[in-house]
Amino acid sequence: MSNENGKVLKHGTQTRTMHWIHLLAFIILGLTGVGFYWDIGGIASIFGGEANASLVHRWTGVVFVVGPLLYTLLNFDRFSRFMDTISHFSKDDFAWLKVMGGYLPFIKADDVPPQDKYNAGQKILGWLIIIGCLLIILTGFPMWLWRHSVPAVFLSFCYDVHFWTAMVLILLVAGHFFLAAIHPKSRVEFSSMMLDGYIDAEITAHHNAKWFAELKESS
Amino acid sequence: MSTVLSEGVIHVSNDCKACDHCTFICPTGAISGELGQKHHISPKKCINCGQCLINCPFNAIHDLSRIEELKKALADPQKFVVVQEAPAVRVALGEEFGQAAGTNVKNKMYASLRKLGFDKVYDTEFTADLTIMEEGTELIHRVYGALGVPGFEEVGPLPQFTSCCPAWIKYAEDNYPLVLPHISSAKSPQQMWGAVAKTYLAEKLNVDPANMFSVSVMPCTAKKYECERPEFISSGYQDVDLVITTRELAQMIKDAGIDFMALPDEEADRFVGLSTGAATIFGATGGVMEAALRTAYEILSGESLGKVEFDAVRGLDPVREATVEVPVKALGTSLPVSVCIVTGTKHVASVIEDVLAGRSKYHFIEVMNCPGGCINGGGQPIRRDTY
Repeated sequence: MSNENGKVLKHGTQTRTMHWIHLLAFIILGLTGVGFYWDIGGIASIFGGEANASLVHRWTGVVFVVGPLLYTLLNFDRFSRFMDTISHFSKDDFAWLKVMGGYLPFIKADDVPPQDKYNAGQKILGWLIIIGCLLIILTGFPMWLWRHSVPAVFLSFCYDVHFWTAMVLILLVAGHFFLAAIHPKSRVEFSSMMLDGYIDAEITAHHNAKWFAELKESS
Repeated sequence: MSTVLSEGVIHVSNDCKACDHCTFICPTGAISGELGQKHHISPKKCINCGQCLINCPFNAIHDLSRIEELKKALADPQKFVVVQEAPAVRVALGEEFGQAAGTNVKNKMYASLRKLGFDKVYDTEFTADLTIMEEGTELIHRVYGALGVPGFEEVGPLPQFTSCCPAWIKYAEDNYPLVLPHISSAKSPQQMWGAVAKTYLAEKLNVDPANMFSVSVMPCTAKKYECERPEFISSGYQDVDLVITTRELAQMIKDAGIDFMALPDEEADRFVGLSTGAATIFGATGGVMEAALRTAYEILSGESLGKVEFDAVRGLDPVREATVEVPVKALGTSLPVSVCIVTGTKHVASVIEDVLAGRSKYHFIEVMNCPGGCINGGGQPIRRDTY
């Protein structure tokens, strides 16, 4: 998997495409959703008024669902591996969490335990995003399609779950962006997911030692 | 024209989350706005039933409140403030004080109203009985008229619709003016009570009707509209000055710091306080029909009913029908009286269309706007845990 430039392909084209689609959909959904909840007329105006902003929100929601769904169907093996990786927590993962991977300046971490393709923090983030997305999807569609037929108390419940889950997801994605694009120890990840999919072999050997060992073994 | 008549009773506040749930609840299409867009109620189309209000997931719809005006009247020594309460109020008010739905708290309600400062506390049940007598007798006259009995040539046509639901009345006026001759000419119990209060009662109590302030506690927001209608001045004054809902009464009791459940049980003032069980069932769908049928049966047959309940008209289906064999002593025969009960104005259009097209088989039709009747009115406590 390593190429002649000493790089490793971490994220394939379809993965990167799905990530881009989901990210853009998430930004539009978050922006319009925040506009609705806090009644910020300026946000609705960007999309041509309240009714149009709602239309954009709903159909972007469809993209938000269909994008990953299509990806999963077309790349089921890759998706299975991803799920397998984030579901497996070893002693190294717990040890990594104890020192928070050395990312936090106030936790001393001389020796960060070796990690899989995704570190323990990314595994937890993966689960939180999957659960959050499911909650948002499962509440969003009744809010749209069954708004006339469901009881008021259920509709109100859906709005609360939808909004607060979205708030948690926005904070998680903000943290994810900080670590993947800004933090000096990990910002190299950014180009891997957002551009060409490759990452330096040397960095991988350090940050994802277990996965790198697997790659070397299989090559 | 009063603000209520021109701008309506029900308004969407700025808290509207634009969820669009209410547009399906509204029986007249009075609510506009798409999903995501703040909604608006057209006072012209709105029948003030308040079903959108009690079904709004975000409590963003409100009814016009005149509680402050009532508090001023109660504090004014020049005003003689009398109050009536509808049958459906007493079995819902307790919910605001932790009682199970359906608990009858009428005796504590009377006590609380006295504590709030009302000079006399009466009960709408008395005029519900009057309504039954009026509507029952009118039905008999219409039947006689249809049968060609001399002396009944000028009566209205059959079938006869009930007239005590103000939301239904506005719906008919706005959408089916041709059906108006079919609607009973009897006033609602609230308005009968208002007229009696400022005439008969004022005279008996030796109170100047100009100083009498007549209040009603109703399960219904449309009653706020009804009391402002310009024709309801039989006493020479506005017959009912102000309407508060069950919710507003509960709020007044709480605001006054009254421990409702600790109040002693009291009775209504007896001046016009006598009533029958027929009046009590007015608050539930089929209740007016059942009460009027009992009356008509007794008048037409000259016999007391052995079994009082007409089970055929009970239930919660939106449109129910029944045929009751009524012996008519004067004609020496019995007549099958076909009745229909509509609960929810949404379901009444086809019934009206049949009447206007001459296809209707019914003689008497009860229409209540709110599903289940007044018990589920727009002024009742909002219980999110029950549905």
